[in-house]
Amino acid sequence: MNSIVCVKQTVDLQQIRIRKETREPIMENVPLTIGDIDKNAVEAAVRLKESGGGKVTLVSAGSEDLEETIKEGLAMGADEAVLVVDRKLDGAESFVVATVLAKAIAKVGEYGLILLGEGSADNYSGQVGPRLAELLDLPLVAFARSIEVAGGKLKAVRNMDDCLEAVECDLPAVVTVLSEINEARIPAVTQILKAGRKPKEVLAPADLGADLAALDQKVQTLANIAPLQERKQIMFKEDADTAVAKLLSALQADGAVGRY
Amino acid sequence: MEKFDVIIVGAGLAGLATAYTLAKEGFEPLVLERGDYAGAKNVTGGRIYLNPVRGMFPADFWDKAPLERPVTTEIITMLSGDAATSLRFRAAEFAAPPYQSYTVQRVKFDRWFGNQATCAGAMLVTKSRVDDVIVDGGRVVGVVAGGEELGADVVVACDGALSLVAEKAGLRKPGQPQDYAVGFKQVVELPEKAIEDRFGLPAGEGAAQLFMGALTRGRFGGGFLYTNKASVSLGMVVGIRDMMDGQPPVEPGVLLEEFKQRPEIAPLIEGGEAVEFSAHVIPEAGYNGVGKLAGDGILLAGDAAGFSLNMGLTVRGMEFAIASGVIAAQAIKRAAEKKDYSAGSLSAYRTLLGDSFVLKDLATFREAPHILDNPRFFTYYPELAGRILRDIFSIGIQPKERFGPTVRRHFGLADITGILKDGWKGRKL
Repeated sequence: MNSIVCVKQTVDLQQIRIRKETREPIMENVPLTIGDIDKNAVEAAVRLKESGGGKVTLVSAGSEDLEETIKEGLAMGADEAVLVVDRKLDGAESFVVATVLAKAIAKVGEYGLILLGEGSADNYSGQVGPRLAELLDLPLVAFARSIEVAGGKLKAVRNMDDCLEAVECDLPAVVTVLSEINEARIPAVTQILKAGRKPKEVLAPADLGADLAALDQKVQTLANIAPLQERKQIMFKEDADTAVAKLLSALQADGAVGRY
Repeated sequence: MEKFDVIIVGAGLAGLATAYTLAKEGFEPLVLERGDYAGAKNVTGGRIYLNPVRGMFPADFWDKAPLERPVTTEIITMLSGDAATSLRFRAAEFAAPPYQSYTVQRVKFDRWFGNQATCAGAMLVTKSRVDDVIVDGGRVVGVVAGGEELGADVVVACDGALSLVAEKAGLRKPGQPQDYAVGFKQVVELPEKAIEDRFGLPAGEGAAQLFMGALTRGRFGGGFLYTNKASVSLGMVVGIRDMMDGQPPVEPGVLLEEFKQRPEIAPLIEGGEAVEFSAHVIPEAGYNGVGKLAGDGILLAGDAAGFSLNMGLTVRGMEFAIASGVIAAQAIKRAAEKKDYSAGSLSAYRTLLGDSFVLKDLATFREAPHILDNPRFFTYYPELAGRILRDIFSIGIQPKERFGPTVRRHFGLADITGILKDGWKGRKL
């Protein structure tokens, strides 16, 4: 069975800093990566391939850096990639991305599963998977913590926070996975080097008949700023005993610790 | 086992210089780096001296490099408990291009250098840690990374001061505390204008300030402050053996906080935000710490080879790393022409290094570690300077003495013999 994994290129969130004056994230020169949960989705697909055969195709939409970023997923064991590249797709809203991905998936050929992470590493809206299922008119299994394919059917366990739900559906289907589904592998050096030579089809939105400008934008970003953190900037420079006592009374005065 | 021409362990300056030079010669070297990107794990104080390595790269290489400010102003400051004596030097020669040295931030520079090497044809794999070398009949034939065996004609160990690769290959013994120092620093962001105003610098120019004395509480080491474009790198270097002395041992963070709060430093960084903290081990043994540089199928370069030189007023490592990487590439090219990667064939590396500034400068200043390892530099002299200048500048109620007797009072017999002894030892510098 062939699988498709939709992954998103995001900035490496570990490396983000906040500009003090504006509280905006500093995005320049931050390394790009594939989201962590997306990697769990790739891992799930590669494991299905390893046990049951077939091939794994990565489908992604983003800026031109994608050709480099996607190597991470290819190194994990995916066989090929279909990339829709346009600067405007970087940070595009879920509706636009799902529309473009659906059109790209139509070019891939036969598949049994479309896998995604439950939400992207940056926006985490969790919408692209469900939207994709709707656009392609396929069953959706969201929040999967385990999956199994047998006899042309998908069996999955969904984590609903307060309970687990075991479901079964026909293929093809769209599945969004939780990070707990597996531990994504760290690719070996030779796999990383081979990833550069795996087939990549790079398309522009126009090649898919998608006119980004004509798509009805539904979301407007008003601001993207970090929560305000008020630092007290108080330093107690006395010896340990005095400093601790002073710290404690300052915390008490502030209501930060309880009364004794 | 997958086989490569050359595997370079570590994407620091030595590793990237080796990779870049080899790639330009048509090799396809593989660089393995454990950090997320080249430079992610690398630390400098920071300044780099360009003159010795400028000619080893294409003419526009250094113009494009993301360097910070050219250093036009040198400041040396001796700190005692309650006084600071500074010497400030600016020469027109240093303030005109081509500048001899620049402040630099490795996170930016190495990442750029990594891209240059990749564009030239090198393969760079990050997030990949080398855990072992593969030795076959006394020959190094590859490395183990992430559980995978990777073969190579030559392995170049550029994995830093505590080179695991050199150790596993039997070329170096585990280090001794007295041969290493630990450097730790913060990068404090400040507006460009504030840096120029506070350090009295013309626009675009930079300063390098070295500190010795009370800040290390008498330990071997000192402090540094380098002006970047829109930040300053502020930190200290302390000998690891000295760091371990004393009960309870003092922690680097405590020393650095004390240093930052000194009245000589606090106003310089006031209002700035500390955005980066880093620390690194530094080889301090100088020439005597340089051991074997080549074995069958292996070369050492940069810090891994011990190429670092503390000359007291200047501390150099990066240009040695770059030059040794370039020279390693030249030696590998010669070995490849003969298809002979034995220690004998690769010994051309040491010969070439011996003809270069790398081993020459290290040999010239071979006594430097011995001379600098003198507690008097870190306590006695900074205090003496402070005491003398305090007496010269102070105007009290009593009538003022002539300068001669004022100064002479500070030089008893013990002082003079001590200074003469230090001077005699120091003649070798």
